[in-house]
Amino acid sequence: MNLTDFIKDGVAVLQPKGKIMGGPDATILHEKLHECVENGNKKVIIDLAKVEWMNSTGLGILISGLTTMRNNGGELKLANVTDKIQSLLTITKLVTVFEAHDSVDEAIASF
Amino acid sequence: MKKPIIVDNTIRIPSQEEFLPDVDSFIEGILRGFGTDETTIADIAICVTELVNNSIIHGNKSDPDKEVAVEIGKTDSVVEITITDEGTGFDIEHLESPIDEQNLLKEVGRGIFIVRSLMDRVDVKFLKDGTRVTIAKKI
Repeated sequence: MNLTDFIKDGVAVLQPKGKIMGGPDATILHEKLHECVENGNKKVIIDLAKVEWMNSTGLGILISGLTTMRNNGGELKLANVTDKIQSLLTITKLVTVFEAHDSVDEAIASF
Repeated sequence: MKKPIIVDNTIRIPSQEEFLPDVDSFIEGILRGFGTDETTIADIAICVTELVNNSIIHGNKSDPDKEVAVEIGKTDSVVEITITDEGTGFDIEHLESPIDEQNLLKEVGRGIFIVRSLMDRVDVKFLKDGTRVTIAKKI
């Protein structure tokens, strides 16, 4: 998994690419989310457009990011959730936990 | 440093998460050779990496001297994969449900639930010196 990130309209946008399956790759996303908190970014979007799939390690990282942001007065939202990840969010009922948008711009506008 | 070993339709890795991509590449390559569609390949890859993660962390306690073996085969149109570790196993019938309201925000505990949701069959067998999980899916 690779990770790029940028700030747009005061919102931190993280764009992982590839597969999130655990191990060192997953640590990168986890650390970046915590870096956002440390840098005072309270609005974070994870753009999942280029994530092929993730297993429960990936879902755990999303949950960790969400709770970390909320515990610090912030919010984490998802954008461009692919069909594969949407089905996992549905199976695990996490679809009720995350706010998801069809595009990064739409997610930014929702803050 | 120990490295993954591939012999025929089996890959053996030291119990370190850095080797998960090796397992994924091996399994996905064979599934493509079987003519499996990409959605099913993703489902199976999710489950295999899930179970190998469990074997590394919970079964073998991340001891690099212990191995996880993954074997794949196909009979008619059913793919069967076995994941074997050197741990003492787990009770698949008495895991907490990750979809219970009080568990929704837990970071862990969804792996086996996802595997059972995506696969047609999941069996756990306790061996004398390890645990073997077998998953099967029609392709």
